[in-house]
Amino acid sequence: MAATDRPREAVQRGASGQKIKLADRWRGYKSHHRDTIRISLLKMMREPVQTVMTVAVIAIALALPAALYLTVENIQRMGSNFESSAQITIYVHKEAKAETIEKLQDKLETLPTVASVTYISAKQALLEFKALSGFGSALRYLEGNPLPAVFLVQPIVLEPIDLAQTKDLVAAITELPGVDDVQIDMQWLQRLHSLTEVGHKVALALGATLGLGVLLVIGNTIRLAIQSRRDEIIIVKLVGGTNAYVRRPFLYNGVLLGLFGALTASIMLYASVWWISSSIADLADLYQSQYRLAGLGFLRFLMLMGLGGLFGLVGAWMAVSKHLKDIEPK
Amino acid sequence: MICFDNLSKRYPGGFEALKNVSFEMAAGEMAFLTGHSGAGKSTLLKMLMLMERPTSGNLLINGKNLNRLPDSQIPIYRRQVGVVFQNHQLLLDRTVFDNVALPLQVSGYPANEIGRRVRAALDGVGLLDKEQQKPVALSGGEQQRVGIARAVVHKPRILLADEPTGNLDPELSGEIMALFRRFQNVGVTVLIATHDVNLIDRMQLRIMRLEGGNMIDDGADYGRY
Repeated sequence: MAATDRPREAVQRGASGQKIKLADRWRGYKSHHRDTIRISLLKMMREPVQTVMTVAVIAIALALPAALYLTVENIQRMGSNFESSAQITIYVHKEAKAETIEKLQDKLETLPTVASVTYISAKQALLEFKALSGFGSALRYLEGNPLPAVFLVQPIVLEPIDLAQTKDLVAAITELPGVDDVQIDMQWLQRLHSLTEVGHKVALALGATLGLGVLLVIGNTIRLAIQSRRDEIIIVKLVGGTNAYVRRPFLYNGVLLGLFGALTASIMLYASVWWISSSIADLADLYQSQYRLAGLGFLRFLMLMGLGGLFGLVGAWMAVSKHLKDIEPK
Repeated sequence: MICFDNLSKRYPGGFEALKNVSFEMAAGEMAFLTGHSGAGKSTLLKMLMLMERPTSGNLLINGKNLNRLPDSQIPIYRRQVGVVFQNHQLLLDRTVFDNVALPLQVSGYPANEIGRRVRAALDGVGLLDKEQQKPVALSGGEQQRVGIARAVVHKPRILLADEPTGNLDPELSGEIMALFRRFQNVGVTVLIATHDVNLIDRMQLRIMRLEGGNMIDDGADYGRY
């Protein structure tokens, strides 16, 4: 009945049971990832209140800077709509001879940063004024034409608007013979640009701050998940689970939370844009503008999702690397 | 298969749990490890699970010195060891099947292979009809058998058991010991830590005795009569 003299070759059989084919291992690995995602989803659904609250916090933290960013983008677009109407008005000297005016037109047309030149003679100006102003009858009491001839110059508008270039152009025009006065209305555009620049930076700063918040929220959620699954982690480690195996469900959990947060944020943004855009369209119509509110768009949606997933991964990684080390079988 | 070579374990604070312990176990051998509480049984098993590293001395498994095994290789090593715990350590929120499948899942077995092996292991402990139940629905003896199925499902070369019959009546203990015998018969090295004197008396097995961290009898001459 002695137990020690059992056949030793039988050990080999036990050992060969350890070997798994590479293809099988890969299939097992893939199905393990699928299972991990499925189980993570199930676990999240089993605690709906906790999950919904976490997702809502992430969604708000992502939606706020994204909304600010969209607003700034739209203001910028509105500005570029007006840029085409930014033109330089040149008042010609009243005493200027027709010859001088012709020369002036030639010179204006040859300037490098000028897109187009339109000439309005003093007569034309007066006719237009009569027709549009409603002071037609009053003008009859005037001796002669009080209006000067005018050149309308459309400069080539560069993105972003370069005020120095426009200034150079104005200076060059002022020097030309026959020019009485030059008016330019581009300064407010420059101001708008500076403002949207500030808006972009504020959106970025807000995004960074709230992004840090998202990391902390996800990190905390994952930390709680790790603590509630302490026993499981110990058992998995005892039966030969690697650190990567133990880490994986928590990382997926973080990524899923981030993705759900980003998805919710996108839905919130789409809904707001849809809600506001009809009013904006009405307003734009009143100003005879084709301007329409630009929404998130598919590419930005993907970017937001990617960002959410990344935040989730990083937040979970932070929690996992801090707390999993402490859990070792004792 | 298992070779302790002058192994000592001193915990921070100075307590010496194992003092120059040396013994060998051949592959396919089955033995009891006995001694009072605090004699070092648990520490010895923890050494074999690499839950603890020795302070001095060497531990060789299948000729390989585990002292030189890097931490990253510990999971791989543990996959050739099966452990049965006194308090069975089952996951209560998972079915019997999922509990037993765990060692295969962590090793990356494909699903069909897992199903086949888990059912074979459950069949071996007579619990095939309980695979979809949660552990809480089972009796103490059944839970212990699930723990055994989990310990052997990946066909380990070494099976360690820490008080496997601690809470069980003699009849159930006998059944569990019979199970261990079957694994031994297919070449598994089985080491059972227990202070269940009745059990030890009934089985004709090699007995290693620890006392205060010393191996006072390694029972190596058993069966050589």
